[in-house]
Amino acid sequence: METEVRLDRHTMPALGKPSKIDILHAAESKLPNGIPLYSVNTGTQDVVKIELIFPAGTLQQNLPLVADTTNALLEEGTAKHSSEEIASMLDYYGSFLETSSHHDYASVALYSLGKHVNKVLPILEEIVKEASFPKEEIDVYLTNKKQRYLVEEKKVRVVAARNFPALLFGNNHPYGHVVTLDEYEAINRDQLLNFHRSHYASNGCAIIVAGKIKDQFLNTLSDSFGGSNWKADDLKKTGEFAISPNAEKKHYMPKDKALQSAIRMGRMLFHKNHPDAIPFQILNVILGGYFGSRLMSNIREDKGYTYGISSGVVFLQQAGYFQIASEVGSDVCDKALVEIYKEMDRLCNEPIPQDELQLVKNYLRGNVLRSMDGPFALAERFKQVWLHGLDYSYYEKYISTLAEITSKQLQDIAGKYLQKDSIYEMVVGSKKA
Amino acid sequence: MIQFERFTLPNGLKVIVHRDTSTPMACVNIIYNVGARDEDPEKTGFAHLFEHLMFGGSINIPDYDNALQQAGGENNAFTNNDVTNYYLTLPASNLEVAFWLESDRMLSLAFSDKSLEVQRSVVIEEYKQSYLNQPYGDVWLELPKLAYKVHPYTWPTIGKEIDHIKHAVMPDVKAFFQKFYCPNNAVLAVSGNVTVEQVRALCDKWFAPIPAGNPPLRKLPVEPKQTQARKLELERDVPVDAIYKAYHMGSRMDQSFYAMELLADILTDGNASRMYLELVKNKKLFSEINAFTMESFDPGLFIISGKLSEGVTLEAADEAIQEELKKVSLAQVKKEEMEKAKNKTESQLVFGEMSILNKAMNLAIFELLGGAEEVNNETERFAKISEVDLLVEASRVINENNCSTLYYRSKSKANGN
Repeated sequence: METEVRLDRHTMPALGKPSKIDILHAAESKLPNGIPLYSVNTGTQDVVKIELIFPAGTLQQNLPLVADTTNALLEEGTAKHSSEEIASMLDYYGSFLETSSHHDYASVALYSLGKHVNKVLPILEEIVKEASFPKEEIDVYLTNKKQRYLVEEKKVRVVAARNFPALLFGNNHPYGHVVTLDEYEAINRDQLLNFHRSHYASNGCAIIVAGKIKDQFLNTLSDSFGGSNWKADDLKKTGEFAISPNAEKKHYMPKDKALQSAIRMGRMLFHKNHPDAIPFQILNVILGGYFGSRLMSNIREDKGYTYGISSGVVFLQQAGYFQIASEVGSDVCDKALVEIYKEMDRLCNEPIPQDELQLVKNYLRGNVLRSMDGPFALAERFKQVWLHGLDYSYYEKYISTLAEITSKQLQDIAGKYLQKDSIYEMVVGSKKA
Repeated sequence: MIQFERFTLPNGLKVIVHRDTSTPMACVNIIYNVGARDEDPEKTGFAHLFEHLMFGGSINIPDYDNALQQAGGENNAFTNNDVTNYYLTLPASNLEVAFWLESDRMLSLAFSDKSLEVQRSVVIEEYKQSYLNQPYGDVWLELPKLAYKVHPYTWPTIGKEIDHIKHAVMPDVKAFFQKFYCPNNAVLAVSGNVTVEQVRALCDKWFAPIPAGNPPLRKLPVEPKQTQARKLELERDVPVDAIYKAYHMGSRMDQSFYAMELLADILTDGNASRMYLELVKNKKLFSEINAFTMESFDPGLFIISGKLSEGVTLEAADEAIQEELKKVSLAQVKKEEMEKAKNKTESQLVFGEMSILNKAMNLAIFELLGGAEEVNNETERFAKISEVDLLVEASRVINENNCSTLYYRSKSKANGN
């Protein structure tokens, strides 16, 4: 290829000056009944997302599956409208609901075009306040959910993901509990009604809205959710749970004739407000948190053992943990494990070369910009600090740590948290093909 | 409404620019007009394997990802039966890095033996992960084979069989590049905090010097009209029986596509959809049921897939699906059903325009489909479908002689547990 002489195609064009990262903060106010309202008013499209957050996750449930089932069935009927009618009304305005239940909280989010939001807000209000959990809907839901459980159980990745947290937290901890089929049988309507009444209530609720927000809309929102008539008198403070890690570090769940084996490895860490939280996240990126990570470079791009391998940090309100996940050819599973440990050792024993560190810093700075692009992304950034009792200073700290952190500091962090004998290991599949 | 400007370089590269100053980011999307349908039937899976090799170093730049990450960028790519698409986002201040990277790999690859060897293994692991080691995974290897007899949609993008990937050699890789990866077989779409002048200058600098190629004129065999019902039964180690029905329909820009998309919505999208209400909730024959189109450029498939409830036979499930389909092929859907489906679609299009990546990708795809401006006619095309149009299309498509049915039996169930 001798297409040109003057153009230098070997050298990367000079990088632009990194611009200052301005984070648009959520505006904070309170509804008359005390519900905190956070509003991210920006965007190019006439759309709105309204998310209601309740202390109604697995941490708050008294029986397995109650939190999840309550959340999923909110839209399946109220005193006034059937599941079908609710869906029809939302469909008509092109709006959609997203209900989700997590360990620390549950959420009900409504997405709508701005021009229709006043029409669909009453539906959101109704399902949150007046969900009626019809028996028929519960039965259909649980029957189909059990079937899906069986299908998912055939996937090595899912089995590993379900069982790994139990090694760190113990099966009795809400963060570690492995759901069984029998537990679906134990769910009944009263439990759901009770859980709904005491957890989907104004005391405990927070609202985040994002998109093109008009003042008039905030008034309507206050009319819907600002009243004193949906308070729960019996909302308890979330309890603390004892962690009982498994005594054995290595676990193997055989699955006959699996072509690939799922690997999960990791360890307990700390809360998001821990002084090592940000440095560890940067270290995690180097190990397995981006396409050019050491695990990807070694296990996929050099050895071809897998289609993908990654590591990540999970921060919860009462704990935090680190995990590596991959599916590898069963015939090379043992070799992959050796390489994964080797990569952790290298981070403990050798300083990260300057050019690699600089690359990761640049990449992550770009990622910060990417993760704050648009109203919904900005709302999510707010939520991810707010849930942990933190504020926007967390992101300022993140950006400054990113600029300042050294190879030496990262090696110290690795030495503290990536020692081989502290790592739990789970393999689901077949270790030899 | 996505506003854009378009120009073409002398070497044939089409360029589309959409300016959005609400973001500090830019997105660069390059689509190559080559997909699995363009492959040699004896060397399938090649377009997708090639996509992996595009990250294995280009003629002047040994490591694509490394360079992009230094510029704060993130990228990915996908291949399907119709096209191969590469996209990246990065801070707009580093836009030129994207032009440097993308133009170099359009100019020429490094063709490293190591990269070919490793990516063959990676793709084989992807094959296992997505198709062989997943419950119901091989449906997407078997169903197209049943539905298409001569059109290349008969093989899946990942390839007919693992051996085709194992046997890919460097001369094939080079020939594929020569044939398809040239500026006059690609569309470049740039969106975000950029100006048209800036993009034009960068194009002149980085892409204009790349010589035009001679991409082949696409002459694919036309799938003959199906005249008889086709059936296949598989027995696998899965917990529950499943059924898949695939009906031939029109191509992406035909009226058929818009009608069948709306119909899919009416049948199975959400708690108020027909089949969900009748077959999941009322008759309890299925634990889940889905209708969708393959969105393919050439005449495609309308697919119904469902997982059966405990104790229901595949024959009974099949009959129940046909009964529901008869209702929409014999009588018009209700006005409000139609309105709901259209409103939902319109809303999805508005939400889709929130990201610069979606906008760039859609502009590029529509440019290949007949013109980037078509991206702004989507709402209108859906709106124009009347209840009568839907009925006409449904009665044309929904016919057992136009259908391939796959019964996917659970082995444990077949053996009486």
